[in-house]
Amino acid sequence: MRFLPHTDTDRSAMLESIGVSGIADLFSDIPDVFHLERGQLDIAEALSEAGIVRKFTKASEKNRNATNTRYFLGGGTYHHFVPAVVDYVISRGEFLTAYTPYQPEIAQGTLQALFEFQTMIARLTGMDVSNASMYEAATATAEAALMARRVSRKKRVVMAGSVNPRYRSVTANYLSRLDGEYEEVDMGCFGTDLDKVIAAIDAQTACVIVQYPDFYGSVYDLAPLREACDANQCLMVVAFSDVSAFALIESPGAMGADIAVGSGQSLGIPMAFGGPHLGLFTCKQKYLRQMPGRVCGLTKDADGKRGFVLTLSTREQHIRREKATSNICTNQGLMCTAAATYMTLMGDAGLSTVARHSAAALQLLVSQLPDHVTALEGAHYNETVLSFVDHQARQRFMAAAQADDIFAGIPLERFDVGQADLGEAGPSAENRHLLVATTEMIEEADIHDYLRVLEVSL
Amino acid sequence: MSVSDMNDTAFKYSATNGIQHEEALLFEHAHDAAESIHLPGVKGDMPNALAVFARQNPAGIPGLSEPETVRHFVRLSQWNHGIETGFYPLGSCTMKYNPRVNEQVARLPGLAHIHPDQPEETVQGALELLYEVQQWLGEVSGFPHVTLQPAAGAHGELTGLMMIRACLDARGETERRTVLVPDSAHGTNPASAALCGMHTVELKSGPDGRIDLDVLKAHLNDGTAALMMTNPNTAGAFESDVKEICQLVHDAGGLVYGDGANLNALVGVARPGDMGIDCLHINVHKTFATPHGGGGPGAGPVAVNETLAPYMPVPRIVKDADAYALQGNVGTSVGSVLGSIGQSGVYMRANAYISAFGREHLHKIAQDAVLNANYILHRLKDAYHVPFDGVCKHECLLTDEIQNRHGVKTLDIAKQLIDLGFHPMTVYFPLIVHGAMLIEPTETESRETLDNFCDAMLEIAAQCEAGDTDALHEAPVKPFRRRLDETQAARKPVLVWPA
Repeated sequence: MRFLPHTDTDRSAMLESIGVSGIADLFSDIPDVFHLERGQLDIAEALSEAGIVRKFTKASEKNRNATNTRYFLGGGTYHHFVPAVVDYVISRGEFLTAYTPYQPEIAQGTLQALFEFQTMIARLTGMDVSNASMYEAATATAEAALMARRVSRKKRVVMAGSVNPRYRSVTANYLSRLDGEYEEVDMGCFGTDLDKVIAAIDAQTACVIVQYPDFYGSVYDLAPLREACDANQCLMVVAFSDVSAFALIESPGAMGADIAVGSGQSLGIPMAFGGPHLGLFTCKQKYLRQMPGRVCGLTKDADGKRGFVLTLSTREQHIRREKATSNICTNQGLMCTAAATYMTLMGDAGLSTVARHSAAALQLLVSQLPDHVTALEGAHYNETVLSFVDHQARQRFMAAAQADDIFAGIPLERFDVGQADLGEAGPSAENRHLLVATTEMIEEADIHDYLRVLEVSL
Repeated sequence: MSVSDMNDTAFKYSATNGIQHEEALLFEHAHDAAESIHLPGVKGDMPNALAVFARQNPAGIPGLSEPETVRHFVRLSQWNHGIETGFYPLGSCTMKYNPRVNEQVARLPGLAHIHPDQPEETVQGALELLYEVQQWLGEVSGFPHVTLQPAAGAHGELTGLMMIRACLDARGETERRTVLVPDSAHGTNPASAALCGMHTVELKSGPDGRIDLDVLKAHLNDGTAALMMTNPNTAGAFESDVKEICQLVHDAGGLVYGDGANLNALVGVARPGDMGIDCLHINVHKTFATPHGGGGPGAGPVAVNETLAPYMPVPRIVKDADAYALQGNVGTSVGSVLGSIGQSGVYMRANAYISAFGREHLHKIAQDAVLNANYILHRLKDAYHVPFDGVCKHECLLTDEIQNRHGVKTLDIAKQLIDLGFHPMTVYFPLIVHGAMLIEPTETESRETLDNFCDAMLEIAAQCEAGDTDALHEAPVKPFRRRLDETQAARKPVLVWPA
């Protein structure tokens, strides 16, 4: 077996040196009844390396992918450009095959990259500090609610109905086993009605969670919400799903967020059928000690040279156990390195180009829609909802688009999946709506194709 | 000079400095941003409706040219020790070689560049691979059902406890909220229980480091929701009473959660599901060789028996005739624990890894892992204190008791290992012994590497006996940074570089 260095001679010599007669002696503490017969497991026979490549190539070729299809799909996962350098850097064995940097002297590479990541994420989101990642956006949102409860010492959580249904679902799930009220505010529209959100805030409210741009792509002013939060001493939590927006529009920090969480998948990380992605978690400096997850901090070594360590570990599970700020241990470390590399290559100018092209593509699309299809009104970043006259019209269009190598959008009702027993949320979709997203990977010609299919399919 | 004169025992072990570059922070590479990267897309201005929300000040992301970016991160990488660089015997972390072909196949465009919400008929190949590894993980662990959704081990713990709680609630046993956790458990166990709205009671380990049946019996009662057990435990010992333990917990009305962090000791040899355990999370990044990436990503699938199956998270990956599908909205489900079906890319690698061994060779993983750990234990048992007798499983536990007489602590030994060219073992865990050193070699290390490591450990022990301990307290001196001041970092935390 090519991953196992020992020869049978090695094994015999080692067993002899240990002083046992065979490998079975080393497993004698496992009761006989539990020992498996060799080959008993219902698992395929071993493949050679060539066989593995053949198997995976064959399976992958059954999938439509972004190299042969135009993706107008968003909803929390976006097809942005990934430069070759990003994959090269994270393929280096020293980054790829290192553990969590518990021994900082021989993990300064990971640690400095994390420090640079934290700095750039804080700057992009306009927040004071960032941690070294969460799993992804939905769990980061849930952790934000938990953190706000600790900071405020209150328990009620208010969630806008225009937050990604999956972030809502996971957050509701996390909170459902703990004391305290959780309220989702029905927006009654595909957008964010701040008056309704504000009306739900009371003195017992620990935090209010909104998404900006919201699930439907809408961009709006958070100032009224900030005021309402101040009046009720509750925290303003801002979630986001495409962090590239903040190179173009005002950041959550500038809008007054106390905690901002969301997805960093747009920063050089492939869609990869749902993961691994990157959860971002940022907050104001004063709440730092209630933040979940690993953080990297600056320090000096015994010779006074600058270096980095994981710090504030007294918040964490391996020290605090039951009283830890979170149970998170493994995070998305390699994806932080990917995002740091991506942002370094892009710089402010590249990031703002990504955002400008993403927004311009949507603008071009919605400005030329035929009469029988409507897009949402108001300011949108790179995502909107197209509404068709009925379900059949939408389905006809999606099928025609797919035949023309276009994934035209995600049926809104698909986001109802996963809400088992957690209550229905959001406006009735009537199954005639399509969530549509654009990135810089969409060219003008793609938009023209999209519009042409729209014309002919209806 | 003859070739024989050029033999050098220093090749066996010892780190050198080599050409190691200092490297500034990105933010210190002081020049104006390079010409912006050329990007595709629709070249338009900011849409008018958005203009009122325009960002007023640039974020301050440096923007280096491509050659500068590559050199920056390559230099940083050279400050790291990874499993590809050298031995990495972190106990309970299972740092084994990560096969390169797994990286290659996970990057195929048809797997890497697909969206979780594109039509299911256009991702049948991806679903097929995920479904296959889902079934295999169940087969290896001995359970009929598996959820791939949890993103890491601790997330799997939370998910498993959610299912246990839901099952108890369905039985009308809503007062059962106590989780029993041995004092040798990972810190994630009690933290996960707290997040699930339960509280933990710690079980003191017996004199052999295992669960003490009498202690367990004394703590089982009408409030018991579950026992969380790690088997083999974090002292590297198999809980031989596992069947009795599960029986006791079940008789008391509770369920047994298995922490699968140490599954590498059992792969292909024995299955937790056959032992009475109700559910088990698997650390795919440990047992199934997916790279740990400097802290993640991992994946923490949870395997469950029929008792807990109704409560598994949604969406679930199901096979219907020859088509694969995602199933949502199962009434009894605990709901979603992640915003997607799981860390798909991690599972692609795990599938490739299991494929390489197949049913013929899978047991060799556990056999060689256990052989290697016992070999190290055997070679070090006279020079270092061994707190618990008997064979170990995939890892062996030592302490610094002997070296302490010479004023040398576990931390000193760990740091000296760095100068000798090895990543240290896990230190000061488990908490049930003083000055713990938990060594897990894994199956992918050669006898030569194991011998070199043991020689290094014996040399350190001999230094202690000789009273030659100054260097041990100073270590490490060879990396380009020496011991770092963690107290200062925590007292005045600086987590971002000032603008």
